[in-house]
Amino acid sequence: MINIQKYTLPDLDIMDSAVAVSAYVWQPDRTYLVLGQSNKAETSLDMNAVLADQITVMKRPSGGETVILTPNTIVIAVSFATETLKNPRAYFHTINESIMAVLAQHGVKNLLQKGISDIAIGEKKILGSSIYRKPKRVLYHAVLNMGEDVSIIAKYIRHPAKEPDYRQGRSHAEFVTSLHAEGYEIHIEHLMADIRERFAHENNGAMAELLNG
Amino acid sequence: MRYIFKFPDIGEGLDEGTIAEWYVVKGQQVSSGDALVKMETDKVVTDIPSPKTGVIAAVYGKIGETIKVGDPLVEIEMEGIAGAAAVAEVQKVLVEEVVEEGAGVVGTLEVAGNNAYMPASEEGVDADAAHVSKPVKKALATPVARAMAKEMGVDINLVTGSGPAGRVMTADIKKYFESSKRMEDQAKQIPQLAEDRISYKPLSQLRKTIAKNMVNSKHSAAHMTMHEEVEISELIRVREKYKAILAAEGIKLSFLPFILKAVALSLKKFPSLNSEIDMENNRMVYKNYFNIGIAVDTEDGLLVPVIYDVDKLTIKQLAEKVTEIADKARDRKLSMNDMKDGTFTITNYGSIGGIFATPVINYPQAGILGIGRLIEKPIFRGEEVVKGRFFPLSLSVDHRIVDGGEVTRFVNTLTAYLNDPVSMIIE
Repeated sequence: MINIQKYTLPDLDIMDSAVAVSAYVWQPDRTYLVLGQSNKAETSLDMNAVLADQITVMKRPSGGETVILTPNTIVIAVSFATETLKNPRAYFHTINESIMAVLAQHGVKNLLQKGISDIAIGEKKILGSSIYRKPKRVLYHAVLNMGEDVSIIAKYIRHPAKEPDYRQGRSHAEFVTSLHAEGYEIHIEHLMADIRERFAHENNGAMAELLNG
Repeated sequence: MRYIFKFPDIGEGLDEGTIAEWYVVKGQQVSSGDALVKMETDKVVTDIPSPKTGVIAAVYGKIGETIKVGDPLVEIEMEGIAGAAAVAEVQKVLVEEVVEEGAGVVGTLEVAGNNAYMPASEEGVDADAAHVSKPVKKALATPVARAMAKEMGVDINLVTGSGPAGRVMTADIKKYFESSKRMEDQAKQIPQLAEDRISYKPLSQLRKTIAKNMVNSKHSAAHMTMHEEVEISELIRVREKYKAILAAEGIKLSFLPFILKAVALSLKKFPSLNSEIDMENNRMVYKNYFNIGIAVDTEDGLLVPVIYDVDKLTIKQLAEKVTEIADKARDRKLSMNDMKDGTFTITNYGSIGGIFATPVINYPQAGILGIGRLIEKPIFRGEEVVKGRFFPLSLSVDHRIVDGGEVTRFVNTLTAYLNDPVSMIIE
């Protein structure tokens, strides 16, 4: 039996931030499987593999499908104050644009926003995201695959119950890629620093205005 | 009075959501803005706030159940007597399971539904006015950072924190101080450039909206523009004849009512130009009504008031409507209600000048017709060369919706009506 833990990873704390746009960018210390709000372990995960490898399983407060966090991924959490509700697509679009701008600075080409909330290189996903909306505060959550071997996804996570149109039934291995697999040898610390810098800048800039204006 | 609150469209383009958690039970008193239920869609978990104050009279759906947009969520008894009866049944709760700790209230949501009230929406509220009352939040910071900020004369609430939960650290204070100092130094070095050669003006809310809508249109629609000229000597003759008659009734007859009528009749024959594309649901949405927006150049910026059911109005009635919206625009009395639900747009830049243009579609509409200034040039009539008078037309369409052949046929139909305006009343 898998013990599903409450989500205790550090990025949730920024929901209580007092600043307009607050970002927390971090590299997981080990492997975690994180279920979406309504995911069930028995249908989302390969239970035998998870138990055999003693992987920690948590359930996050935001929507979306199950994700895997490893030291070869970057987790990007952005929370922002909002007085009015907007179409969630606007939030995904705005934040993903900022992340794509940083990736483009590092030379990543052919970046596209796909589905409701993904970033892809061509037709292959490198980042998935979801949103949790609380009173006057929204939390955006994303996982960027820097260099994780996509076979590990198939090892633990089953094919999702719902998928974006552009996935077209592809397996994890066919659908997901990483920056390293696409030939971008970007240093993880440098990329994290630049993403942090981007959102620190955005705090007083156009994104804060767009999200709240 | 009982109010049925239905599951609203939260804007992902999805038509269903799953109930993640109920915050209320039957008989519970709620205030407007209280969280009723936590809903999950594909990518979003969100609290749905109550649009009304009252007592919960019924709760629909159980945790884990998927419901459609427009399905009832709760019934709220808004008057005390029936509400008290509902309270008496408080023990008979429909929902018992609690999965996660509660979240709370979010702002406002548009409600989809026929017999439900619309909760107050903040759309259309002047953003600047809304910001006036927004409280300034105090920054989280370590005591050392606060002391440093005080010593260095830095307003700590302006500093972006890099610590846990956005907490401001000493490094953040130093960075902010150096950055501010650098900017001050730069400003001192180039005062002439800023003051003499560049001036700044904050964007108005209308300019922001125009900018956002224009970019959205250009990013979303596949613009294609067709240019044509239509000979309007007969239209000029007809207009002159009736202009004086209507003037006696105080009605100004411009060319615009004729153009509106011709466009509406043409749209009836070519429904694609009166439609929009719904990519999320893989379908076309055809409008069986003909509400035509008129782009109006005002001192504040571009506004697009709408004339409703143009196909059902006579030329005279259209002339009155055109005068009415022109007066409202001039007197700055146009409301959001005057500018919503258009299905096609006309932009008459020719009244200022200019011949052809590539108008930007009023997205998500399928087309916009630009009218240039009246031009004169010689034409053959039989063997004679006579003076021809033309309106230049520029029709931009969303090429995702309309193909070139249909656009050409639409323009042919439109020019036929304008060339022979009496044909509009013959049909």
